[in-house]
Amino acid sequence: MAYVTELRYYQELAALMNAHPEDYEVLGEVDLNLGLVMTGQAADLRVKLQFEGLGCTEVSALEEGGEHSCDCWLEGDLEAWGEMFDDILVNGMATGRKTVNSLTLLGDRIDIRANDPLGKDLFFRFNQTVQQFLDGAAELEQSVV
Amino acid sequence: MAITSDEDLRSLELPSETPMGQPLDWAWLRGARSEWGMKPVPGPRGLTMMDIATGSYGEIEEEPQFRSMAPRGSDIDENTPDMGYILNHKSQVWADNVIELYEEAVARQWSSTRDIPWGDLRELPSDIEHAMCQLCTVLTEIEMIATDLPAKWMWRMNHHFLEAKMFLSTQIMDEARHSDVFRKRALANGGGLLVSRAGSESLLRTILEAKTYTQASALLHLLGEGFILDIFRQGELIAPTPVEKKIFRLSMQDEARHVAYGTMHIRQAIAGDPDVEAEIHEALDHGEKVFAEFGTQPDLSSALAVLLAGGVEHIEERGFPMQSTMATKIFTSYLARCERAGLNRIDRTSLPLDLLGIDRDQFTREGVRPTKERGEDGLRH
Repeated sequence: MAYVTELRYYQELAALMNAHPEDYEVLGEVDLNLGLVMTGQAADLRVKLQFEGLGCTEVSALEEGGEHSCDCWLEGDLEAWGEMFDDILVNGMATGRKTVNSLTLLGDRIDIRANDPLGKDLFFRFNQTVQQFLDGAAELEQSVV
Repeated sequence: MAITSDEDLRSLELPSETPMGQPLDWAWLRGARSEWGMKPVPGPRGLTMMDIATGSYGEIEEEPQFRSMAPRGSDIDENTPDMGYILNHKSQVWADNVIELYEEAVARQWSSTRDIPWGDLRELPSDIEHAMCQLCTVLTEIEMIATDLPAKWMWRMNHHFLEAKMFLSTQIMDEARHSDVFRKRALANGGGLLVSRAGSESLLRTILEAKTYTQASALLHLLGEGFILDIFRQGELIAPTPVEKKIFRLSMQDEARHVAYGTMHIRQAIAGDPDVEAEIHEALDHGEKVFAEFGTQPDLSSALAVLLAGGVEHIEERGFPMQSTMATKIFTSYLARCERAGLNRIDRTSLPLDLLGIDRDQFTREGVRPTKERGEDGLRH
């Protein structure tokens, strides 16, 4: 069992995506280097997700500040991330204000950041693929903070 | 005898005319002045336009020799006719991301008929249904400008810049679909199309009548579509059912591609001809004024405020503050994109930055930090 605060959790999500590329075909191919930054615990978690085609080809840990090497990154406190994943677990997919698009719209809990406005726009271009990737949490054995 | 090499081809005795006496041209078989044997290799997703942009086929000239529809990389007749193109310089149409954007657009097409769960619509409170129908009326009206505008200019673009024209063709398809999906939504839940006001038409006319393609692109892609992209993002807050959410989410992805093209095209245009910058500023000086009138026109802003509030009864304590917060985001994104495109609008714009909660001194390329404090609900009051 992996926890959302562990790198292994995102590796499992990537494995799920890579095992079912047909689920992503309707959304189309992706080229995106996305960072996830979860703050608020003893050691913050920083993960790099490399999406290519219909798969996630790399999941790796980032050093502090390493997210600046990504096209864009989602940054928020662990509590907010936990609430998002809990919503996915309960409903089978993120709903209402718990989608990454909703959360980053106000940006007060989880925000979308980038060094380049075009990098931020990539998040909007591939938004539904990112959401479907995260919704995969509902299919993992368990995801608790 | 099997023909196995170019040498074999050259040594062949071939007829110079048909039995009817018509001349035959064998240059295509032995002696075309084009690259042969490139054989690009398909990648994991298939054979993309990036894969075949190889050798001379991938060389985009700054100012092509011909003004015809002859394919780039082919052996073109010296006396090929001039098609009357007026956009013959790379910087007038190109963007460095345009080939990738074309492939992305082709891969991420969707259908308003098939991919929207229309059966999940449910009866809504009357004020919400009216507000959604009014928003859809405006959207279905203005989305078609992003088909008409590229269509107006595409036949004037040199065919050497094929990928730019192909990308704009996908934009035309995208915007047709947006116009279609919002028209469908207006009607699908027992409502209908509501009012069309002159403010929308003034904006559309300003974009359509821009003097140059690059001015038009700045008005359409940077200003107009950037604004609509953020409206679609707000779909998360204004959509009363999963049906509208899906519509806004899928439309948002399309719109972001158009904005990405426009941002990089403007950058390319300025790099290619620095004098263009003044022309773009001039267009945006006027465009921002017209746009501010459009964005604040009473029908659109009241409908959005009702949707953001969740009903007319909460419009003052929730709708308007939410709208104000969203306006800050919209113009923050616009100014940041302008900066990325090589345009410093923050020091020139006549937009009411103070009212929008944007501080010029806090400007960064990533964005502009809001100056006004937010309340506990995350909104600016």
